[in-house]
Amino acid sequence: MDSSPAKRRKLAHSHDGGEKALQAAATGVSRSRAFALEAEELLEEVRLDYATALEGADELLHRIKNSIEAIKSQEPLPIAQAVAKFEKKHKIKVPFPDPQPPQNSKYKVAFEKPAQFNVVGSYVSKTMVKTQKDFGVDMVVVIPPELLQEKDYLDLRYFYKRAYYLAVIAATLQKGFGSEAELSFEYLNGNPLCPILSLQPAAKGDKPKGRLDYKIRIIPCAPEGFFPRTKLQLGASLIRKGRETDSEDESEPTAFYNSTLAGEGAFFAYLKLLRQTERKCKGFKNACILGRTWLQQRGFGSDISKGGFGHFEWAVLLALVLQPGESNGHKAVPMSINSTQLFMAMIQFLAINNFSEKPCVFGNAKTESEMEEYLQSGPVLYDSTRQVNVAFKMGPWSATLLQQHAKWTRSLLSDSTADQFSPTFILRADLPSHTYDMFAHLNYSDILVKVLGDDISESRGRSWQLGSKVYSVLKRALADKELGERARLVHIQIPALPKWALTEKPKAQEKSGLDIGILFDPLNMARAVDRGPTAGPSIEEAEECESFRNFWGDRSELRRFERDTIRETLIWKSTTPFDLCEEIMRYILGRHLRIGNIEGDLDCYGNGLDALLSLKPSDTTIYNDAKAAFSSFERDIRDLENLPLRVRQIAPICPELRHASIKLPTVKPSKSGPRPLDCVISFEASGKWPESVVAIQRTKIAFLLMIGNLLEQAKPGQLRTHVGMEDAEFDTENLAFLDVIYVSGVAFRLRIHSDLEETLLERQAKDKTQEQYLRQRATTHLAAFRRLYTNLPLHNQIITRACTRFPSLSPTIRLVKHWFSSHKLSCHFTAEFIELVVLHIFLSPYPWDAPSSASTGFARVLLFLSRWDWRTEPLIVDTSSGEMSKSDRQAISTRLEAWRKIDPNMNHTVLLLATAQEPSGVAWTGTNKPSKMVATRMTTLARVACQLIKEEGLTLDYRRLFVPSLKEYDVLLHLNVKALKECLRTFENEKDEDDAENSGRKNNSNSRFKNLDERTGMEALPVAEHPSDVLLRELNRVYGGDGVLVFFRGAAEDDGIIGGVWNPGMERRKWRIGLGGNYKLGEKRKGEGKEEEDQGEEEEETVEVNRDAILGEIARVGGGLVERIEVRS
Amino acid sequence: MPSTGPLKIGDFSVLPISIPPVVTSYPKPITHHLYVRRNTPKVPTPNASRSLFVTNCPIDSTEAHFRTLFASLVGAGRFESITFESRKDYAHKSSPQQLLEAAVPASASRLLQAHSKKRKHSESEDDSAAGLEAILLPQTFTRHLLPSGSSAVILLADASSVEQVLKAIARQYSSKKSIPLIWPSPPQVKPLGAPWLKSHNRLRYPPAHVLQQSVDAFSSLFSQREREAAEIAKRLRSQPDEDGFVTVTRGGRNAPASKNEAEEAKRKMLERESKKKEELANFYRFQLREKKKAEQGELLKRFDEDRKKLEAMRVKRGKFVPET
Repeated sequence: MDSSPAKRRKLAHSHDGGEKALQAAATGVSRSRAFALEAEELLEEVRLDYATALEGADELLHRIKNSIEAIKSQEPLPIAQAVAKFEKKHKIKVPFPDPQPPQNSKYKVAFEKPAQFNVVGSYVSKTMVKTQKDFGVDMVVVIPPELLQEKDYLDLRYFYKRAYYLAVIAATLQKGFGSEAELSFEYLNGNPLCPILSLQPAAKGDKPKGRLDYKIRIIPCAPEGFFPRTKLQLGASLIRKGRETDSEDESEPTAFYNSTLAGEGAFFAYLKLLRQTERKCKGFKNACILGRTWLQQRGFGSDISKGGFGHFEWAVLLALVLQPGESNGHKAVPMSINSTQLFMAMIQFLAINNFSEKPCVFGNAKTESEMEEYLQSGPVLYDSTRQVNVAFKMGPWSATLLQQHAKWTRSLLSDSTADQFSPTFILRADLPSHTYDMFAHLNYSDILVKVLGDDISESRGRSWQLGSKVYSVLKRALADKELGERARLVHIQIPALPKWALTEKPKAQEKSGLDIGILFDPLNMARAVDRGPTAGPSIEEAEECESFRNFWGDRSELRRFERDTIRETLIWKSTTPFDLCEEIMRYILGRHLRIGNIEGDLDCYGNGLDALLSLKPSDTTIYNDAKAAFSSFERDIRDLENLPLRVRQIAPICPELRHASIKLPTVKPSKSGPRPLDCVISFEASGKWPESVVAIQRTKIAFLLMIGNLLEQAKPGQLRTHVGMEDAEFDTENLAFLDVIYVSGVAFRLRIHSDLEETLLERQAKDKTQEQYLRQRATTHLAAFRRLYTNLPLHNQIITRACTRFPSLSPTIRLVKHWFSSHKLSCHFTAEFIELVVLHIFLSPYPWDAPSSASTGFARVLLFLSRWDWRTEPLIVDTSSGEMSKSDRQAISTRLEAWRKIDPNMNHTVLLLATAQEPSGVAWTGTNKPSKMVATRMTTLARVACQLIKEEGLTLDYRRLFVPSLKEYDVLLHLNVKALKECLRTFENEKDEDDAENSGRKNNSNSRFKNLDERTGMEALPVAEHPSDVLLRELNRVYGGDGVLVFFRGAAEDDGIIGGVWNPGMERRKWRIGLGGNYKLGEKRKGEGKEEEDQGEEEEETVEVNRDAILGEIARVGGGLVERIEVRS
Repeated sequence: MPSTGPLKIGDFSVLPISIPPVVTSYPKPITHHLYVRRNTPKVPTPNASRSLFVTNCPIDSTEAHFRTLFASLVGAGRFESITFESRKDYAHKSSPQQLLEAAVPASASRLLQAHSKKRKHSESEDDSAAGLEAILLPQTFTRHLLPSGSSAVILLADASSVEQVLKAIARQYSSKKSIPLIWPSPPQVKPLGAPWLKSHNRLRYPPAHVLQQSVDAFSSLFSQREREAAEIAKRLRSQPDEDGFVTVTRGGRNAPASKNEAEEAKRKMLERESKKKEELANFYRFQLREKKKAEQGELLKRFDEDRKKLEAMRVKRGKFVPET
């Protein structure tokens, strides 16, 4: 019997709960736990079912093995003789690497049955994933040692023998399998030294579902440890023939060749390493799959053209990192952790190490400093146990890019508030339009010979050689630390080597050109004057200047700067970051690569968007001017003496005063008249406000009149003021504003904030004794009040601050706004919503970091919009720089869920956009702006645009993204642009015949500006609102915004066509009073009259939208402004 | 016209109206349906018997339109006036009386209403005649558009006119009369379109003195009302009514003078209380223990939430497949 059952129970209970909590704590914070769960789900999703996907592969491998084993041995023959004989007999070209073997060479080639067969790679380790591009099953065929000599490591001899060996196998398999499979040669990982044979089973008609188009790759290799490791060191020079200098020690090291050779003998060593690690570490395999996916989404692969770091390199590096024992400062990662943690550890490792800057060595054989000298031939990731440089296929650029991506992912993984999973594994991060600020294409078909001469010492091919030259020049020119990095990243993309048929010679790259991607540094990108080293008397300084001059040539000139420093200086002519970069690139490549016609050979992409809106860096100055004008306006008001209340704050609330308007603010007198900048003024709290909203609104008018008078008295002749009326529907709304127009051309529109108004509205909204519709109205007005007086001033601050922090935020906002406007969506979205969406891209830019140019920013905003599932996800923009807690975010998500529960059809709130200051999430999207239909259209348009960007790539003419498609609209109202303009020109003393009663008032008002009238004769009215805006607003009011007919229009000045869509939900409705639309009796009923009584009441009571009548109404309202109403069927 | 007799929907008679195209942008003849019935307001009014309820008025209707329309339907002299009755939550421009009612704080207006008998009627009516119109702000449009599908009440000369109108509507369907009723375009109505919008841009900026007058008129009336309300309140405070009860009103000896101050006081009290509570938090051991427990529970809850979220993501397939 239990002595203390109660205690026992308590213990057991606490143990149970504690264990769960412990488990939760062990896997880190909640976010990373979610990440781990999601990653597991991903693994499940991408895992291949080998039995069906690669059905028949095993059997095919066996047959291939058998037929290779059956090949008869051949007697050794001198190479030239053997090749001639072979090619004559089989019509197969032996895939020798360049340079071709000399005709007179004495060494012999032969054939013996392979010493060993083995299947290696991801087929055996079962780490293939569904999403990879091609599915290769690698079969390694070991060339028997009898055929090779130790000295074969010199002068490509091994590779000649290997090529011959492969050709013999190809000839046999061609006979045996030519009918059922397609055979071709290709390069192993794009390495021109190592051709391999690929055998792709022909697609049969009745391919079972789920089977993939796999291919079997036959890879000849050297016996393990055949070549003495000591001879294959990275510094050794193993290609000696054909060089100018024949003496051994002066010749250049052939690091790539050596590494390839070392790799040839290490297939089994690595196979063993991977298998062992797999056995010891449970999470290894899955971590490899995660790594493969991560690399793949970033465009990395083992192929040289893909950066030379793929799944194999990932797996090997991970295995090395996991090796017990500390090696040269890298702490071993424990074997016990799970796959997600292994993945994170790898990301961490890659983020710390740049293989091209600091060699990374595993094992104790060599110290890092020793390896440093090999860095100039490429990145170093040295495995000293097997004496292979694992990163030998990488270029310095791909090592840098890899580190950059790892850094970005690391910062994502440490941001516990962001969605970590999708950017890491799901999103594609290799599209140049999303990644690089500038992309250049160097067409080298003509210049290759000019630049490189006939130097063929580079085993990686001539395009690689050119690439590395271009890279080193550009890196120094653009990413030089001393000058201040203009670019954070310079990337070179080399075209891939294609496969070729057995009977042909190896093909050259299909596309002859290098792609150069450049990522700007936002701090330095707009610098037009580069300050080089100081020209001082010391020897070091002189040397520095010398090298600077050598590099930059005539462009470098001596200039004197402040504090009497004299420096080598570069002056560039261009103004925009893009043009600057292009100018420098053209100059420096022309200088160093002696490319004469660089204009024709180098195409730059990426500024199409800037040109579209003619965005200029000088725009910032204009925004600042507007800001300065605002400050002086604020001072003018604060200086007024006779105001009854003290001014607390005057806050700007318009996009022009937060660097975010499509058009620049007007600070000078312009023909189109002033565009007023909106501001709100608030006063010290006071008990003088009447305790009634209606009375407050009237008092505000009196207040505005007073401010206007005082201003005119204080600054006579410098400004004019007008009190204008809002088109308010109710007397409880804000009724008036004050326009202050300075003679200098800048104008402000002032509204008064009264804090009592908010209290009163709040009380009304909560007052249970009030009628429902009154409370509803008070709630609406309260929301409008808060938007205008609380949220907007704050929003202005947030965006202004962010624009200073991110220089490319302002142009990106303007571009995105322009996009919304071009697609006639801007009348449905508030400017603030668009700004915050763009800001989100900058604050949570994963899988990249904040965009440094408008074009990448724009592309990523579209990407975000196309992927945003607003049905279930709120958009949370952390405007408080990381201070939003997890529970805050959780609360916002819960709020969205609650909205969806009350309103599953999304009739009221569609998009939820919350910020730290405005957690309710509906300030900018409330009152059904946009409606579900419009939000869906936004997503659709963004998807189409993203697809276009993806497919067309760099050649995309960006203007196409801004061409509105009119075919989706049911109705098009073509406005008469001339009549609109005419309508805008309103003069005070112009008389309309229909306005007889107003003329009396007008005469009065004219007298106020008597002096102006005498001078000009006609004085334009204060600020005319665009008639198109008024018309649209009235139509929206009449038809209920998202009622029977939904209108679409962009910015008033540019868009002459209003689109309309009949709301499908409102086509046919049951009859009642106040349907909010023009309805007629259904056609059917009308025709058949009363005979149809058996149809039941419901049928009888339906009415349908009277489209003709509605369009007629619009035509009558629009009058001469609407040129034509186009109805589409 | 079909000869199957008058169309009806519910208790509404349907009056088809042909609207001739007046503008070139949409040159199509249009048939508009007006729905007409007797006016049967929930609260009976003296004029209900001689008025008609019309709904689905064209958005550009005016009194002149309906006057002309009814003249052609039943002859001149029957039509008296029309009141466009908008949706309940929509009142474009209220009358001066309504405006004042809305302006006075709810509590005061209730008082005023309850004791309106005690006020001298003649006096208030006097100043309304002279000053009330002045408190309205100038209009910003020469013509107001009705919301689509809105209703109106038409006041006719007498009850028999209502019968006649309904009969006339029914007669529209008889085969003899083949010309449908035509929507008029009365000459005295101000035009829409460009002149309308153009004048709007001018009307938005009424002369300062007009605005000033209107606002002054309003504030004098408003303060008068406020004074009246205050007086009544004061009187009520000191005077028991017929049953001997004293009405409790604002502004008594101990009560704060304004509602704002009351709220302020309440807020301060709450603040004090919460501060007191805070001081005692984490003071006892059991509090710490409970806090820890709550945290643990929170952790577990979040764990479950993650699970749920994942489940939701799994439902939407494709979330876990890397994009190609």
